[in-house]
Amino acid sequence: MIKLLKIEFKKIRTYKVFWILAGLYFVFLAAGILLAEFMINHTVNNINQRMPIPFPHVAIYYFPDVWQNVAFFASIRYVLIFPAIIMIILITNEFTYKTIRQNVINGMSKTEFLVSKLMIILLTALIITVILTAGAFFIGLSHSGFNEVDFFTKGIPFMTGFFLSLLCYMIYAFFCGFILRNTGMAIAIFTLYSLIIEPVIYFFFRAPFMFKNTIYTYLPVNSVIRLTEYPAIPMLKKMMGLNLQDHVSFIACLIPLAYASVMTAIVFWVMKRKDL
Amino acid sequence: METILNVDKISKSFGRIKAVNQLSFEVMKGQVFGILGPNGSGKTTTLSMLLDLIPPDNGQFSWFQQLPSKESRKRIGSVIESPNFFPYLDAVTNLKIVADIKDKPYDDIDEVLQLAGLYERRFSKFKTFSFGMRQRLAVASALLGKPEVLILDEPTNGLDPQGIAQIREIIALVASRGTTILLASHLLDEVQKICSYVVVLRKGIMLFSGNVKEVLAVSDSVELSASDMPGLTAAIREFPGFISFNEAEGLIQVHFSMTVNTSEINAFLYQKGILLSHLAEKKRSLEQHFLELLQDTP
Ligand SMILES: Nc1ncnc2c1ncn2[C@@H]1O[C@H](COP(=O)(O)OP(=O)(O)O)[C@@H](O)[C@H]1O
Ligand SMILES: [Mg+2]
Repeated sequence: MIKLLKIEFKKIRTYKVFWILAGLYFVFLAAGILLAEFMINHTVNNINQRMPIPFPHVAIYYFPDVWQNVAFFASIRYVLIFPAIIMIILITNEFTYKTIRQNVINGMSKTEFLVSKLMIILLTALIITVILTAGAFFIGLSHSGFNEVDFFTKGIPFMTGFFLSLLCYMIYAFFCGFILRNTGMAIAIFTLYSLIIEPVIYFFFRAPFMFKNTIYTYLPVNSVIRLTEYPAIPMLKKMMGLNLQDHVSFIACLIPLAYASVMTAIVFWVMKRKDL
Repeated sequence: METILNVDKISKSFGRIKAVNQLSFEVMKGQVFGILGPNGSGKTTTLSMLLDLIPPDNGQFSWFQQLPSKESRKRIGSVIESPNFFPYLDAVTNLKIVADIKDKPYDDIDEVLQLAGLYERRFSKFKTFSFGMRQRLAVASALLGKPEVLILDEPTNGLDPQGIAQIREIIALVASRGTTILLASHLLDEVQKICSYVVVLRKGIMLFSGNVKEVLAVSDSVELSASDMPGLTAAIREFPGFISFNEAEGLIQVHFSMTVNTSEINAFLYQKGILLSHLAEKKRSLEQHFLELLQDTP
């Protein structure tokens, strides 16, 4: 296991494209989270100009809401797609450069090859989650201090949810790259599906708030993003009288996990039978 | 002698193309073994099956008298078709990955790089290498960890004369250390220079196998004619060593895989009730011989 990780690290360590994309991801991630409050208040101010009683200023960075808000803004499509694209590149490169063939020729088993890639996905998801947790913690700390006893425990479900979202989404990407084998095509199809096809399906199947479960609920990418479905903005809850999410639903986690498991199984099945 | 590789009736089809058909052969320790055949004769497919890249449709093979596994592959160094490396990594990192997979130390990375004449360029990225350098790096990586077997698929394909000489020099050196070598090539001359044993393939079918000197030696072909031509063509097929024949104006030219005695042929055919009207020996060059072997005649 350690040996397989060592090999994967060598493949990545001096690979510029990987580090550039990883850097871009963190820039987008940080920008998305740190600009969120400003953007929300900007919108609120615009609305306020036409309102007799203005909405109060929105604050989203204090404990414990910061956990849910960070998880929400970190799992929006346009940000989440970065690590997914990185995984597509890492797997399709192996086909483009035929290094998957050479790895097997040299004495790696086909199973080991897949396991090493899955370990990289798992590790990446863990590292990003840890960084995000640390980030959320410091944001919360600088905005509110320890205002509650359970300020940290409330973060665990949301950070776990984010971890699952990221993990499953990267596995989708891995699946797409493995099946298509071609970098450009895999990125194009994956991006098209994630950013355009599913939102279009949403447009046609969107349901009223009361009956939230439609086909759309069960689509792979949406089920990933839905784990943290709304940001925590108490004012919003009060204003709209809605029973908005304040926890990550266990059942909701099962949907992306089921997709990711099926995709992983297919990848192993195909690897065993297809010529390299 | 110790058997390194045993291949037992392996076959592989791609759709309707029978790329490899019931191929069997055996490689002994220390042999320099050639697989000779024109392009598309199934050499790469055969090697791909032996390295677990392609599952055979039928048949089996064993390495080191064991069922093939990743452990057996770690004892084999291989270059199949093209050199496969990460273009954005330098030569040393690419070789370290190979050593890691094979569970070998990094100790002989410098040595194989020197052998391949790439030591000065060891920290250059693979994508900056010329075609010849890439090919040499592939051979270098195959030599990492002192493999017991070296498999080379068309190692000199596309190289200039100097590149060809460099590769052949390395092969000769490795062979002199007693490493078993399995070399696939479409070049008669290459197999003849390097190999001691050979199997000749055509359209996935093994034409024959054996010692290079015997198989590729100038054997005689014989011109025959008889009033009963269909009877003659049927009977001559049963003569030991028969490979093929060409028909030409009232006579047939028959090729044998070994030197034949004309009076034996005469006696043989007489027994089968064929009376010859013409019988003549023909000498041929090696090249001509090989081309005839590979011709599309039945
Ligand atoms: N992946 C493949 N799909 C379809 N046909 C293939 C494939 N690989 C090889 N072939 C066919 O199998 C035959 C043998 O090919 P190959 O083993 O590459 O021959 P060689 O290495 O002797 O030139 C050829 O007719 C080739 O076109
Ligand atoms: Mg070939």
